Amino acid sequence: MASGGTPVPLLYLTNPYVMSTLLNFFGHTPLSRRKAFWGLALVAPNLLGLFFFFGVPVIIAFATSLNEWNVLAPPVFTGLDNFGRMLGDNLFWRALGNTVKLALGVIPAEVILALGVALILNQQLPARGIFRTAYFLPVVTSSVAASVVWTWIFQPRYGLLGSLLQPFGLRDTAWLTRPELVLIPVGVVTVWQRLGFDMVLFLAGLQAIPRELYEAATIDGAGRWQRLRYVTLPLLSPTTFLVLTLLVISVFQIFDQVYIMTARTVRGGVDGSALTLPVFLYEEAFTRNRFGYASAVALGLFLIILFLTALQLWGQRLWVYYESEAPEVKA
Amino acid sequence: MLRRSVTLLVLLALVTLAVPVMAQETEPTIPAAPCVAPGELTLWLWDENWAEVIGDSVELWKTEYCPDAEVTIEVNPWGQYWDLLKTAAASGDLPDIFTMSQPNAFFYIDNNALMDLEPYFEAAGIDSNLWGSGSVGPYRGADGTGLYSAPVEWVTVAVYYNKDMMDAAGLEYPTADWTWDDFAEYAAALTDEEAGVYGAEVYMEYQSGFPNWIAMTGVSPLIEADRSRCTLQDAGSIEALQFLKGLADAGYMPPPSIVGSTSPDDAFNLFKSGQLAMMSVGAWKLPQAFEELEFNWDVVTFPKNPTTGRSRSTLHAVGYSAGANAENPDLVANLIQFLVSDEGQRFFAEAGGVAPGNPNPELQQMWIDSFGDTNVNIQAFIDAIQDSQGITDFDEIDSVNNELVLNIFDLGMSVEEATAKACEVIDAYIASMSE
Repeated sequence: MASGGTPVPLLYLTNPYVMSTLLNFFGHTPLSRRKAFWGLALVAPNLLGLFFFFGVPVIIAFATSLNEWNVLAPPVFTGLDNFGRMLGDNLFWRALGNTVKLALGVIPAEVILALGVALILNQQLPARGIFRTAYFLPVVTSSVAASVVWTWIFQPRYGLLGSLLQPFGLRDTAWLTRPELVLIPVGVVTVWQRLGFDMVLFLAGLQAIPRELYEAATIDGAGRWQRLRYVTLPLLSPTTFLVLTLLVISVFQIFDQVYIMTARTVRGGVDGSALTLPVFLYEEAFTRNRFGYASAVALGLFLIILFLTALQLWGQRLWVYYESEAPEVKA
Repeated sequence: MLRRSVTLLVLLALVTLAVPVMAQETEPTIPAAPCVAPGELTLWLWDENWAEVIGDSVELWKTEYCPDAEVTIEVNPWGQYWDLLKTAAASGDLPDIFTMSQPNAFFYIDNNALMDLEPYFEAAGIDSNLWGSGSVGPYRGADGTGLYSAPVEWVTVAVYYNKDMMDAAGLEYPTADWTWDDFAEYAAALTDEEAGVYGAEVYMEYQSGFPNWIAMTGVSPLIEADRSRCTLQDAGSIEALQFLKGLADAGYMPPPSIVGSTSPDDAFNLFKSGQLAMMSVGAWKLPQAFEELEFNWDVVTFPKNPTTGRSRSTLHAVGYSAGANAENPDLVANLIQFLVSDEGQRFFAEAGGVAPGNPNPELQQMWIDSFGDTNVNIQAFIDAIQDSQGITDFDEIDSVNNELVLNIFDLGMSVEEATAKACEVIDAYIASMSE
């Protein structure tokens, strides 16, 4: 775990095809459901893997969460005590608060930047392929290696950022140790690392928009901004929805960045200032040997993500426009 | 020509006769013994360099003491080692032998997960007290009995200093008699703020840092040795931390954010680049220092506390442990006995890395000699054993150390407030352990 890397079952979930198939399954047209049936049939082998390597561990984690267990001594059944303890644990709430702060910073920045880059790279530019590859490179870079490099960039005295900020008198800013600042580097690395992935999703979405709609809009006198506002953004909304859903999940799973960037001082930051829920549960399990409690926190995290994803699925009908739906005339 | 040959032959005969006599006179401190029945064993380490040394040692055991035995050595880097060991323990699949660190040992000992090696050593006529309490104390049970890990090596801490910088500042090289006041004067004289040069960095993490200074006041650093309470608010702890904070506030010591971490590895990089004149770190840095430092340098024991007159260092010994449920305990104990024996430890002594845990003076001298003809006072690390402080830290509260260091040396918190915060966490954890 320390070496980073997304667990294999989670890769299924972050696979846009599996995700969009699953999302389609909850769509409200017979066509999307019929499509989804065959989609699900084809991804069944993957889903079976998901069940055994993800579903079964979740069940085991639930069983573990009902016990106090340090892995060496036999577990002691404590019922729902671990969940009660979680609700009264300041560090749990701090970790959750930090995640919310990260979400509020990372998600808008990520959507705007990824969309902006996708819009630029969707145009006929020289060496467009090279740019697209360059933006995608961080996605395939080991997050541990990237976090180590970024740690040095944020090093106050000798780091690159310190040199850049020197004219503003901010050279010795302790980005990674000051509780009020430490989430900024974590957020920056998260955005940097994910940008390429979301950019590719947006690019795919942009390329699926029929050109004739732009032509028609142009004939109707729509300018560049109006074409973006009334053609691109509405038709891109399913992609935006997908990006948002995946982003929320991934922000709640931030681990490597915090683990690595604060490992050289206090893991999770002074007073838990950089703690995220995955780092918190890791510390509870592998440092403080409270595996039962850590399992309860893991389930708590699972329920939070499930709730937020369900909320987004419910809310999508308010703003997501699917092409297969009957066109609406908006005032 | 003939006369020369005869002389040589006579000399050769004398040497041949003398060897067995000398061998009889030098009793090994820890003897090795043949195994009763060979078998297959697994051995986990976290240090790549050790794998080679221990591998050579194991080969000798297989040749001389246990033919047909098979040993699989696996290296799992420190960053993953303890997680993997816990996972292996959870699944009841601990390796037969694995290296253990003192701050991590309590958890396994308290939960009866380790094999007691004491009966095997007793049966072999080996008194485990020969290692000294600093090396094996933390490897005994809560009641002070048993032995759950046998020392691979020992490490004390001393002050490394840049001789060229001292020459430039017109300072005499420090001697073992120096005091905290001398140290403060040196730190001040060696600091050059404009050039970004700091006089010293000696607070850092547990082993190399502030706990040494607390120990010099006569207080057990961080917690009592019996893990009954936090000692950071004791007068000695406050005195030591105030002293260090005074040096940092005066600009003689860099804050952790400038160093890059609370690790002595990063402080060493500053030392290496000439931006730090003095730093405290263990003997494990010697090979790297000999290889990488391009200026004249030396080591000296910690300065003496002016009140107690004591210069003290933490002492840590990595050990070989075995799982309580090892399938072949006799064979496991036999290999561990060999690895800590004079014969087994010779490889460590010759390799020139860390000092062999076996206290045989010949082995210790072999270790010093392994660094070649040098004018560095390596003896300082051996001298530091005299009044050393056993490790009182344990893994579950280790982050409190670093948080304390950050609060005091990076975030400007007062010593009183920072120690009160730390003790709150430590005492709460101690209380939860006894529940």
